[in-house]
Amino acid sequence: MEQLVFYSLGLGAVIGALGVVTAKNPILSVLSLLWTFFCLACVYLLIGFEFLAVAQILVYAGAIMVLFLFVIMLLNLGTSEAADFDTARAMGRRLPLVLLVGCTLAALSILAAQQVGGTSDEARADLRSVGSLTDLAQVMFGTYLLAFEAASILLLAGTVAVVMLAKRERRKNAA
Amino acid sequence: MIALLDITALDAADLRGAAPMLAVTCGILLALAAEIVPALRPARGLAFLGSLVAAIFLEVQLIAAPAGEIFSGAFGATASASLFGLLCATSAIIAWAYSLRYYKLEAPYKGEHDALILCATLGMLIMCGALDLLTFFVGLELLSVPLYALAAFRRARRDSVEAGLRYFLLGAFAAGLFLFGAALLYASSGTLSLAGLRAASLDAPLALMGGALVISSLFFKVSVFPFHLWVPDVYQGSPTPVTTFMATGTKAAGFAFLFQVAFLMPAGAAALTGALAVATMAVGNLAALVQTDLKRLFAFSAVAHAGTLLLGVAALAAGDPVASGPLDAALYYMGAYIFTAGGAFGLVALMESEDERFLKLDALRGLGRRRPGLAAALSLFMLSLGGFPLTGGFLGKYFIFASALRADLLLFSVLGILLSVVALGYYLRVVMTLWMLPAEEGAPLLESKLLSGRLVTWLCTVMVLALGLAPGWFLERFF
Repeated sequence: MEQLVFYSLGLGAVIGALGVVTAKNPILSVLSLLWTFFCLACVYLLIGFEFLAVAQILVYAGAIMVLFLFVIMLLNLGTSEAADFDTARAMGRRLPLVLLVGCTLAALSILAAQQVGGTSDEARADLRSVGSLTDLAQVMFGTYLLAFEAASILLLAGTVAVVMLAKRERRKNAA
Repeated sequence: MIALLDITALDAADLRGAAPMLAVTCGILLALAAEIVPALRPARGLAFLGSLVAAIFLEVQLIAAPAGEIFSGAFGATASASLFGLLCATSAIIAWAYSLRYYKLEAPYKGEHDALILCATLGMLIMCGALDLLTFFVGLELLSVPLYALAAFRRARRDSVEAGLRYFLLGAFAAGLFLFGAALLYASSGTLSLAGLRAASLDAPLALMGGALVISSLFFKVSVFPFHLWVPDVYQGSPTPVTTFMATGTKAAGFAFLFQVAFLMPAGAAALTGALAVATMAVGNLAALVQTDLKRLFAFSAVAHAGTLLLGVAALAAGDPVASGPLDAALYYMGAYIFTAGGAFGLVALMESEDERFLKLDALRGLGRRRPGLAAALSLFMLSLGGFPLTGGFLGKYFIFASALRADLLLFSVLGILLSVVALGYYLRVVMTLWMLPAEEGAPLLESKLLSGRLVTWLCTVMVLALGLAPGWFLERFF
C-alpha cells in the first residue's frame, strides 16, 4: 500500500515537473510547480518528516510561489516572449545538456537510496527522528528559545527598515 | 504529543535575567504603535526613554544579584554581561537625546528611527550575554540590520546612502565569515555553546580555521586593523546621532563577546593580537592627526580606542595573573568611553543640527568665547579621550595597560603608551582651536538650546569626572 502511494505521488511530481517546463502559459507553469511541491510534501509526510512537509507547503508552496505569481503578474509576461524558446531546433540543442544533468541526478539519487537502504534499521530510525516535529520543537523552544524569539524582532526590524527606506517618496506625495 | 516534549519551562530566573530585554522589546512595540495611532504620538519619546531607563534599572539589579545562566545555558545574565548591557542602553539614550532636533527633512520618520535604535539596543543586550554562537549571531544581526538602515537614514543625501550601502555590504560579508566559522567549529566539535567549545579540544585545523573566522568577523564589527577601512566613511556619512550610537554601543557589545570567545585563539595568538592592537592604535592615531573634518577625526580616534581595548583581549589571551583583570579593565574603559565619545559625537551632532559648517575643525575657532559651557564640555571630552589624568579616560587606559603589563606584554604596552601621547596631538589641537584661535569673519553662530542635549552633556561631563576622580565608588558597586 505504502509503495503504491509513493509511486503515484512520485509519478504526480514528475508529471508536474514536466508541466513546468513544457507549459506555454507562465501561470500554468507556476501551477504545475505548485503541484510538484505538493506531491513532494506528501512524500515527506509518508516517510515521517512531518515538519519538512509542513515547511515545504508553507515556505515553497505558500510564500515563494505567491512571490513568483506576483512577479509574473507585475511584469505582465505574455506567451509571445517565450516564442523562440519552444522551437524544435532550440529544444534539440538543449537535449544533450538536459540528458547529462538528468542522468547525473538519477545516478546520485540511486546512490543515495542504496546508501540509506544499506544501513541498519536503527540508523534509519535515527535519521527519521532528525526531521521530526518533536526534535525541532525541542531545539526551537528549548535550547534556542531566546534566539528564536529574537529572530521575530529581527524580522520586524527588517520590515520597518525596508519600509522606512523604500516607501519614503510615496508617503511624501500623499501628505 | 506535548508530554513527549522535554522542554524546561521558563522559571523565575529566566524572566529576571531577560527582564531588561523584555523592557526594550516593550519599548519597540510601543514606539511602533505610537506611529500607527496618531493620538499616541506625543508619548513616543516617553516610551523610548521609559523602556531604556527601565532596562538600565533592571541591569543594575542584575549586577547586584546575577541571574546566572538562563534559557538552558543560551544566555548568561552575569554581572559583567549586565554591566555591558547597561552601557549599551546608556549609549542609546545619549544618541537619542542628541537626535531630537537633528533631523529636518527626515523628521516625519523619527518614529521608525527610534524603534530601530531600540531594536539595535536589544541586539546589543543579547550579544552582551550570549553563551552560544547561534544566540550571539541573532543578536549581531538584530544590531546590524537596523544600523544599516539608520546609516542610510538621510535618504536625500548621497554620502548617507553610500555609508548605508557600504556598511551593509561589508557587514553582510562579515556575517558570512562568522557563519562559516561557526559551521566549521560545529563540524569539528559538534556543539555551538561556548561551554561545549571550551571543553572540546580545538587543535584540529578545522577548528582553528573556524575560530579564526569567527574572531575576524568580530574584529570587523569593532573596527580593528586591518578590518577598519569602512569606519571613516561610514561614520562620516551616517547621521551623527547614529554615528554616536555606532561608535559607543556597537563597540561595547562587540568587545563583550570578544572577551567571551578569546579562548578560541590558540596559545600563540596573544602576541599576534597584541601586535594587531598596536597596529590599530597606530593607524587610528596617525590618520587622525591630519584630519580637518570633526567626524572623520573622531572616527579615526574610535579606531584607535578599539586598539586599546584589543590590548585588553591580548592580555586575557596571554594570561593576566589576575583572572578578571582584563575584563574589568575593559569594562571601566568602556564605561568612560561611552560617556566621553558619546558626549563628543553628541556635541558635534548638536552643532551640526544648527549649521553644517561646524563639521569642520576650523569652525570651532573662538567658540570658547561665544559658548564657554559647550566648549568646556567638549574640551573635557577631548582630554578624557586623550587619557589625561583626573578624567575617566585616563583610569580606563591605566587599567588596560596595567593588565597588559601583568600579562608580560611589555613591548606592546610601551608602544601603546607612546601612541597615546601621539593621540594627544590631535585632541589638544581641538582644545587649542576652541580656546586660543580667534573666530573668523562670518563664522557660523551657535544658539542651540536643546534641553535634552544640555542635560545629557551635563550627565556625560559629570560621569567623565566622577569616573576619573572617584573610581572607588564605581569599583565597589559594579565590579
